[in-house]
Amino acid sequence: MASTAAVPFWRSAGMTYISYSNICANIVRNCLKEPHKSDALAREKVHFTVTKWSEGKPEKPTTRSDDPDV
Amino acid sequence: MAMAALRREGRRFAGSITAPRPMPAIRSALISDEQVPLGVRSISTQIVRNRMKSVRNIQKITKAMKMVAASKLRAIQTRAENSRGLWQPFTALLGDTPGVEVKKNVIVTISSDKGLCGGINSTSVKISRAIHKLTSGPEKEVKYVILGEKAKAQLMRDSKKDIELCITELQKNPLNYTQVAVLADDILKNVEFDALRIVFNKFQSVVAFLPTMSTVLSPEVVEREAEAGGTLGALDSYEIEGGETKGEILQNLAEFQFSCVMFNAVLENACSEQGARMSAMDSSSRNAGDMLDRLTIFYNRTRQASITTELIEIISGASALEG
Repeated sequence: MASTAAVPFWRSAGMTYISYSNICANIVRNCLKEPHKSDALAREKVHFTVTKWSEGKPEKPTTRSDDPDV
Repeated sequence: MAMAALRREGRRFAGSITAPRPMPAIRSALISDEQVPLGVRSISTQIVRNRMKSVRNIQKITKAMKMVAASKLRAIQTRAENSRGLWQPFTALLGDTPGVEVKKNVIVTISSDKGLCGGINSTSVKISRAIHKLTSGPEKEVKYVILGEKAKAQLMRDSKKDIELCITELQKNPLNYTQVAVLADDILKNVEFDALRIVFNKFQSVVAFLPTMSTVLSPEVVEREAEAGGTLGALDSYEIEGGETKGEILQNLAEFQFSCVMFNAVLENACSEQGARMSAMDSSSRNAGDMLDRLTIFYNRTRQASITTELIEIISGASALEG
């Protein structure tokens, strides 16, 4: 059954539910008071390297990170 | 791997102890031509002392690695057990159907970046290959998404063209949900799938790791299965609040389920990795201790033999002078 109802704004903007909930969680974290705020923000750091493969060959890897130096 | 090398060295060593004459067949790495000329009966004690020093160092290092792994395990174990509560409601609602018939399967293999952790990465890769074999067929497509260096190295050898994505350096910061969520988002955006099979090692206890596969279906497949009946067919009995349709909610749920299952899988695999590393380093230090005992006995025997030989020479020389 095809859903013709209006999709939420974030879905039509190309976001998945996961990224939407991530952004919401980040907003909530930023609402905390110090020192809990810096603890929470330090706890949820992201760092990983993704390599997309095509036809059995790896392409250039991209690093997604919160570190300022990477 | 370290333990097997130590054992091999010990066996080669035992061969050279039993033969008094250095035959070319059992010339080991211990006796090299520059240090011991042909015809000399015994091995110099210096070589044995060097070997004992290096084995003692290896024992200390592996013991330290075991302590480090034990402390890391303690830190991560409670988090892994708590994260089990994230996916259990999903399985209660949507069910876990490994036997679902779909066209596009994507196998997500979770492994570690670092080595010296026993056989858990090999088991994960073995299971992934078996699932690949099971789910491939005419008009069916099976792809890999690999997390961790170790599985990448193994799967690169024979399944190169089936790899979609490789993710490494995941454990640079302590594992958290945000990171896994961003990762899951990347996978969702880049890979087309009907069903995701996540392969990881479930942490049962410090010595027991169970290779597990979790199945997450895409929303379209969930709708199809819901119409077919079974656990998913009971979804219709739920009331939907808010202005969203059932298809909308199913899509959100499927994405969130993937993210939660991934989080739990990554945590459990990290626990299993530390536990396996603990037991591997423990057996390595035990083997090093055994080897050290054998080397000490050999060293003492060699030392006493050379002292006896000297005494004999002195005494026979003295008696030759007298007589």
